[in-house]
Amino acid sequence: MMRLFRHIYGFLASRALTPVVMGMFLFLYIGLAFFTEEALITLIGLVGSNVFLIILFALIPLNMGVRLLKEVKGHFERRRALLGEMERVPQGLFDETVAVGGAPSFAEAERRLAASGYKIHVSGRTLSAWRGISMFPSRALFLAATVCLFSGILLSLAGRSSYRGAIMEGELLPSQSGQATDVVERITLEPAAGPILSKVLTIETRPLPPDRGGATYGLYPPARYRGAFVYPRYMGIGLYYRFTAPDLPRDYASRSLLGIYPPGKEDRRDIPDSPYRLVFSMAQPADGSDPYMTGRVTIAFKLLKGKDLLMSGSAPIGGEFSRDGYRLAFPDVRRVVVTDFILDHGVVPIWAAAVLFVIAACVWLPVRLLSPRREMVFISSKDGVLHACSRAEGRCRKHAGVFHDVLDVLEAAIV
Amino acid sequence: MVLAYKLIPHLLAWAGIMLVLVRGFAGRRKFAAIAGSIGFAAGAAGTLVLLQTLKGDTPFAVIKILLGGGFLFFLVISVVALYRSSERSASAPAGRRERLANSGICAVSAASVSGIAAGAVCACCFTGFQNIFALSLFLAAAAAIMAILILVMENLLPKAFVVSPSGLAAAVSALLLFSSSSLPRLDLFAPLTMKVMKFTHDFVHQFFESMLIPDHMFFTSATWNFIGLLFGNGVGFWGGLFIWFAPMVLVIAALAFEQIPPVAHIRQGAQRRKLMAAAVRARRLRLIVPMCAAIISGGAVYESNFPSVEYWDPKPLIVSANPAGEIIIPRKGEVDLEDGNLHKFLYKQGGKEARFFILMPPSGELTVDLDACAICKPDGYGQAEGTVICYYCKTLIPLETVGKPGGCNPVPMPFTVKGDGVHIDGVSLINTWSSTVQSTARIKGGGK
Repeated sequence: MMRLFRHIYGFLASRALTPVVMGMFLFLYIGLAFFTEEALITLIGLVGSNVFLIILFALIPLNMGVRLLKEVKGHFERRRALLGEMERVPQGLFDETVAVGGAPSFAEAERRLAASGYKIHVSGRTLSAWRGISMFPSRALFLAATVCLFSGILLSLAGRSSYRGAIMEGELLPSQSGQATDVVERITLEPAAGPILSKVLTIETRPLPPDRGGATYGLYPPARYRGAFVYPRYMGIGLYYRFTAPDLPRDYASRSLLGIYPPGKEDRRDIPDSPYRLVFSMAQPADGSDPYMTGRVTIAFKLLKGKDLLMSGSAPIGGEFSRDGYRLAFPDVRRVVVTDFILDHGVVPIWAAAVLFVIAACVWLPVRLLSPRREMVFISSKDGVLHACSRAEGRCRKHAGVFHDVLDVLEAAIV
Repeated sequence: MVLAYKLIPHLLAWAGIMLVLVRGFAGRRKFAAIAGSIGFAAGAAGTLVLLQTLKGDTPFAVIKILLGGGFLFFLVISVVALYRSSERSASAPAGRRERLANSGICAVSAASVSGIAAGAVCACCFTGFQNIFALSLFLAAAAAIMAILILVMENLLPKAFVVSPSGLAAAVSALLLFSSSSLPRLDLFAPLTMKVMKFTHDFVHQFFESMLIPDHMFFTSATWNFIGLLFGNGVGFWGGLFIWFAPMVLVIAALAFEQIPPVAHIRQGAQRRKLMAAAVRARRLRLIVPMCAAIISGGAVYESNFPSVEYWDPKPLIVSANPAGEIIIPRKGEVDLEDGNLHKFLYKQGGKEARFFILMPPSGELTVDLDACAICKPDGYGQAEGTVICYYCKTLIPLETVGKPGGCNPVPMPFTVKGDGVHIDGVSLINTWSSTVQSTARIKGGGK
């Protein structure tokens, strides 16, 4: 059982596992690219729906997690070795290990190491020396970030679900279950002075009944509503219009969600049971302002009967247009944001991964460039053998030179 | 004479392949030379048979797939090489691997596979050649002569010229790609750039969707211009270059970061330093071949971007629409629309313009298409033997499929043929150009 466990551990901790799995997905992608133009989307869909591929993908975060544990263990074992708490150093803990017969005095070696800028620690039969800062924290952060990243992708691939709804001022927030409890109080779009976003969209809601405080949803990072991220996609207006025509038995009135933002974009609506069709757009104000921001909306329209254009014109909100027995009134308009509500537990781990990657890089670069960790330990065992171990995270050649010199000194001390 | 000129890059590539094979398998040089030459002859003969039996682009597609597979195999080798060289524990059983790499089976397999690939690429120069047997014999003789010459010349090369297994793979791959890039139908770099561009577009789109990043209308123009670089025209080329050179760079890195053998057990300082210096020198010498391979790969990219083939690319004739908005082009007017050549036209309307062409493919049915596809920057098309080529991505489109939508095919336009010529709706032409083509020149799909 222990052997099996060791095999599984060896497999999961292998450095080759992640590259092999990623290679498999690369080959799958290439294979799909032969058959479809949408290879990436097909691959995402395939992974999300195929248990075998999900398990295969899950090996990546698992591998990184196990490697993180292994490296944490290795780090603390090395610390123990450097502090002289180990009689024998396990294989693979250091880059270079050599055994020399004899039990020398460490005095001259200590002097040499100190002269080379190493910090010294002597404890019983152990002499250890080190200099520089360990890259272990950045390495651990990097591995943790990788675990978060691939776990996030996995969660996202396997469990993402979404529904689209239109958020309209004065109306209930859309809910998948249909049991909405929050009403949209206000939607505002304002110019932003930031370097990234040029506009700030804010959706304010209040609960119905008002048993708790209201909520505000913005652009980024997206807030959550009932566990789902509120992801605004595009904007439009909810236009209430009334249309009268000489040959229609009665007035037609409707509130329509029109995707006519930004100004100039057209949307069309058919008048039911009639040959009429209305094409709406938002007129661009002469002062260049944004009607969605200011709320001063003028609707431009075209009235078509079949394929023939009967008339075109414009009218502000609250106004109406009338000619030849036709009348078109716009009593009310409300702002609308067409929004995706996305249930995805993978987003937060991916954000966390991004933060961890940045921190890891910020730690790694200066440490690697300025003061990489170099360490060596000499353990004189009870059976009269000197075990010398060395490891360097940078400037390896210089460190190896010092290590070899110290070994020569120690061997001379034996003689 | 033309044949000899066509053969030069392929035979040079073959000579290079033979040289690294002979030096790479130093203990089995004759085996490698014989197996390679036989492989070359077999590859050439097989391809000539394929070219005669299969119609259209199928034989070229088969060879391209094989070359692509070879490139992927080389990518795997380079990753493994880097993985092995970055191993920190000094307990890797290198001896067994080296013995396997120098075994006769390995030498014969590598040489024959390389020979087959080189022969297949070389034979693709000879489309429409009837006497397959004579041509096969000629190519086999040429390959054998080159192999003998290389066997003789290789003895003259200094001992310092060493070829590591990964360096060998790098050189063979680079020379095959160089050889294939001189034939537009076998060029891999151009389709690679297309795939990279498509992947980048899809990836950025998916990334925005997954990370819930707002739509472009909310971004400042500076930010969006920055993001727009990922949708720009250069991304395919630079991304393609990255992939193209990645295996070479990995092999170079693997050799450069190869660990120096442990010398701590040697107690004589001078001997230790001597061993280390020798190891460092050997490591540097092993870098020569992959570095040369990287330069040859660069040559392949150059050949892909500046092919020596001449394309028929007439200057667009300016046309106008009648009051009803119809463009009418006579079938046999200033140009003969039915001569099988591509005829380009330019239509201007209210500050906008659209470029299109009319072509009669071998099917005999006229086709009207935009001089651009729905994917690439609208650099237009040129006509070569049996194909049109997209100037931007260098994709070759068989004449039989011109007029069909999709991929890098020219965007087809609706038209009618009447007694007075070909009728095309001017408004549709301008609208299709604007909606389909101009988006590819800046940001595809609005950038998301």
